[in-house]
Amino acid sequence: MFDSRLLGLILVFAPLSILSFGGGQAIVPEIQNQAVAVHGWLSDPQFADLFAISRAAPGPSSLICALIGWQVYGFWGAVVATVAIYLPSSVVVYFAAGWWQRNESSPIRSAIERGLAPIAVGLIFAGAVTVLRATHAGALGLATVIVVTGLLYFTKLGAYTLMGSVALIYLGIHEAMPLLAG
Amino acid sequence: MATDNSILPDADLPRPNVSLMALLGAFVRLGMATFGGGVQAWVHRDIVVKRRWLDEKEFLSGLTVAQVLPGANPVNIALYVGMRLRGGIGGAIAVLGMVIPAFCVILVLGYLYRTYGHFEIVHFVLAGMAAAAVGATLQMGIKVAGRLPRNVMAAVVAGGCFAVVGILRWPMVPVVVVAAPISIAWAFLLERKAGNVR
Repeated sequence: MFDSRLLGLILVFAPLSILSFGGGQAIVPEIQNQAVAVHGWLSDPQFADLFAISRAAPGPSSLICALIGWQVYGFWGAVVATVAIYLPSSVVVYFAAGWWQRNESSPIRSAIERGLAPIAVGLIFAGAVTVLRATHAGALGLATVIVVTGLLYFTKLGAYTLMGSVALIYLGIHEAMPLLAG
Repeated sequence: MATDNSILPDADLPRPNVSLMALLGAFVRLGMATFGGGVQAWVHRDIVVKRRWLDEKEFLSGLTVAQVLPGANPVNIALYVGMRLRGGIGGAIAVLGMVIPAFCVILVLGYLYRTYGHFEIVHFVLAGMAAAAVGATLQMGIKVAGRLPRNVMAAVVAGGCFAVVGILRWPMVPVVVVAAPISIAWAFLLERKAGNVR
């Protein structure tokens, strides 16, 4: 009854859960690699679509795993993928949080913090490049990335407002394209 | 500061009496409110400012734990707050409150995508939203990178991880398994050299 595809979901997501230093953003490149290249669960454009949906939806963006799980094995695939991505890291936090707080001035704690931070930064940027590659972003896509990055960095506009605005603008562009093409 | 060996919550701090239902309710609402990141700000406003379940110092300490340890930040923050207030069962309840409603919403969106995803316009708009989300990722990356120490170690590790996973597309798991101990040891040696460690 326990299908090998469910096992596949666990084997992909549980290790990522334990190693997701830097949160959901840091594991995006590996989710893409596993789901598209290694297992062929999705195509690159499908991955990019699901990434957009997971970022636009409420809750943690790593719920993209639920969407991938559903693609692989329906409802139970979504459940298994979600448990696999959240349970292992939660168990680590459960046992580590107490030690962490009791050792505020420990040099080991400080070394772990300082050692993991640059890894997280590298992986977050790798995630951005991975999604861009998956969307086959052209000039319009790149311009969107640059404008949104700038607006988020230099203004107080919220990420959600911006995503909504971009969706409306793209809708407009799509409708205007036949007119422009004559 | 807690000096006993008990796991959270600490016995020496007064705890507000928070029922599991109240905890669940608070995190269901937070789970639905945390669109597109920014979860810290929402949890802070609700749990610290409005409900006064935790004080500033506890919250900030929890935030560090949530960010440094593995796992999605929203889930880790929920787990931490729940554990502080009601121990392990509280942690589990808070995480379920954070994840389950959002899980249901994303399945509905996934269903809509499967039904309408073949329309070219859906794909076109989603590609735009993905580009916007990449912008959000980049902005976050720049912000976190700004907090890194300005030294060779941080530059080599961050640049190396980016190049190897992002450009060369090596699988992340072995990369992190190798890079993490090296990077932590390097950070430890740097600190000892700086005289911060006896």
